[in-house]
Amino acid sequence: MSKYGKIEVMAPAGSKEAMAAAIKAGADSVYFGVEQLNMRARQTNNFLLEDLPEVAKLCDENGVKSYITLNTIIYDHDISLMKKIVDGAKAAGITAVIASDLAVMNYCRKVGMELHISTQSNVTNIETIEMFSSYADVMVMARELTLKQVGDIVKQIEREDIRGPKGELVQIEIFAHGALCMAVSGKCYLSLHSDNASANRGACVQNCRFKYEVKDENGNELEIDNEYIMSAKDLCTIEFLDQILDAGVRVLKIEGRGRAADYVYTTTQCYREAVDSIQEGTYTPEKIAVWRERLSTVYNRGFWDGYYMGQKMGEWSKSYGSVATTRKIYIGKSMKYFEQVGVGEFRMDSHDIKKGDKVLIIGPTTGLVEAIAEEIRLDNGQVVEKAVKGDTITFKVSEKVRPSDKLYKVVSENA
Amino acid sequence: MPKLIHYRERCIGCNACVEIDYDHWRMSRKDGKAVLIGGIEKKGVFQLDVRPEDIETCKQVVKACPVRVIKLEGK
Repeated sequence: MSKYGKIEVMAPAGSKEAMAAAIKAGADSVYFGVEQLNMRARQTNNFLLEDLPEVAKLCDENGVKSYITLNTIIYDHDISLMKKIVDGAKAAGITAVIASDLAVMNYCRKVGMELHISTQSNVTNIETIEMFSSYADVMVMARELTLKQVGDIVKQIEREDIRGPKGELVQIEIFAHGALCMAVSGKCYLSLHSDNASANRGACVQNCRFKYEVKDENGNELEIDNEYIMSAKDLCTIEFLDQILDAGVRVLKIEGRGRAADYVYTTTQCYREAVDSIQEGTYTPEKIAVWRERLSTVYNRGFWDGYYMGQKMGEWSKSYGSVATTRKIYIGKSMKYFEQVGVGEFRMDSHDIKKGDKVLIIGPTTGLVEAIAEEIRLDNGQVVEKAVKGDTITFKVSEKVRPSDKLYKVVSENA
Repeated sequence: MPKLIHYRERCIGCNACVEIDYDHWRMSRKDGKAVLIGGIEKKGVFQLDVRPEDIETCKQVVKACPVRVIKLEGK
C-alpha cells in the first residue's frame, strides 16, 4: 500500500445496468436511490425497498460497499418511509446511508446505521465536521471549496482528532467527476420557482442547462457571447488527481445517477486506473491524456477543474446537452450466448452493423461488455460485411452476455 | 362529470397538491405519497369525479404537480 492508504472510487448507480457496469469497472463502492426520497426522484428507475437484499448481496459478493442516497429534505409524511428505508438497508446489510436532513441522521444514529453526509448539507468548515462527527464517519465536502481548503480541513481533523461513530478519523470525500451545480448544492430554488419542482426533493428540471436571453426592462437585449449563462461545464479532476490525494481526500465520488451504464463504466474505469497509477507511482502525462480522451467519449458538457484550483468564475458550457465525442445507437437485443466458443447471438431491431463496428452490450446482470464485431455471421452461417434490421447475427464476444441485454453500436459524433 | 386522475406510483410526495387543495388531497404517512381522497383505484391509477365548481382548483393542482402525475379529464 502506498503512502495514501486505501482510496475509494465511488460510482453512481442509477439503474441495475449502471450498478453492474460500475462493479465491473472496478468501483470500490456504489451509491443509489431507493423509492422517492433521493435527489433523482424524477427518474423512474430508482431501486425499490424489496431490491435491497439483492443489491447488498451483489455488492457483498464483489467486495463493493453500497450506499443509499436518502438526501432530500424530509417532511413529517416522509418519516415512516425514511425509517423503512433505513431499517431495510440495515437488515439487508447495505453499508451506509447518505443523508442531508437531520431527521435521517438522528434515526440512523438511533438504530446504529452507518451514515455519510451528503453534498446537500454543503459542509465547508471544520466546526460543521466536528458537529456531524457524532453522527457520520464520511463527509463529502461542498463542491465549491478549493483543494487548499479541503486539505486544511483534513489536517485539522487529524490535529483535533475528530472521529466518527466507528471510532476512526472522519474521512473526507469529494466529487471527482461529473456535473456541477451553478448554485451551492442544496441551495438552488430555480426549479421550484419556474416549475414548482423542488430540486431539494429530487425534482429539478435543470433550468441552469437552458439557453437564456438577457434583456433590460425596456426590452433592450444584452449581447452575450454565450447564451448558456448558467450551465457549468462538467468537473474533471483526472489531471490533478495526485494533488487531491495529497490533500488527504480518501473517497472520490463520480457524479451521475442520471447517466447510462456506458458512462458509469468509462468514468469509473478511468478513475480506478488513475488512482492505481498514483498508488504505484506510474501517473504520467501520457496516461492522463489517454484518460481524458476516453472520458470525453461519454456524456459531458466540456470539462473544467471546478473550483478546486481557486476562486474564479464558472466556466460555462456552450451548448445544450453533451459534447461527447461518441454516442451509442440501439441496434438490437441479445438472444443467446454460446459459452464454449465465446459467441453471442443477436436480433437486429434497428439500423445496421458493419464488420469492425465497436459495440456495447448492456444489461442488468451483464453490466457492460465491449466488443468489436470482427466476423458477423447470419443465422444461415454466411459471413457478411453488414447486417440490417430483421437479421439474426452472431459474432465473437469475450464475456458472457444474457438474453434481453441490449446491443448498441458506438459511433463517432463527428461522423 | 370531470375526473381527477392520479398516477400514484410516480408521485414523489412533495406536498404541492395538498397545499392547494386539501379537500381532495392528503399525504399518506405510510409511504409518503399523496392520496386522492375518495379516489377509486384501477391498476395503481386513482380516479375521482369532481364537481364543476371545483375545476379551477383542480386545474391549479394539475399545474403544480412537478412530476405531472395528476390529470384532469372531461368537462
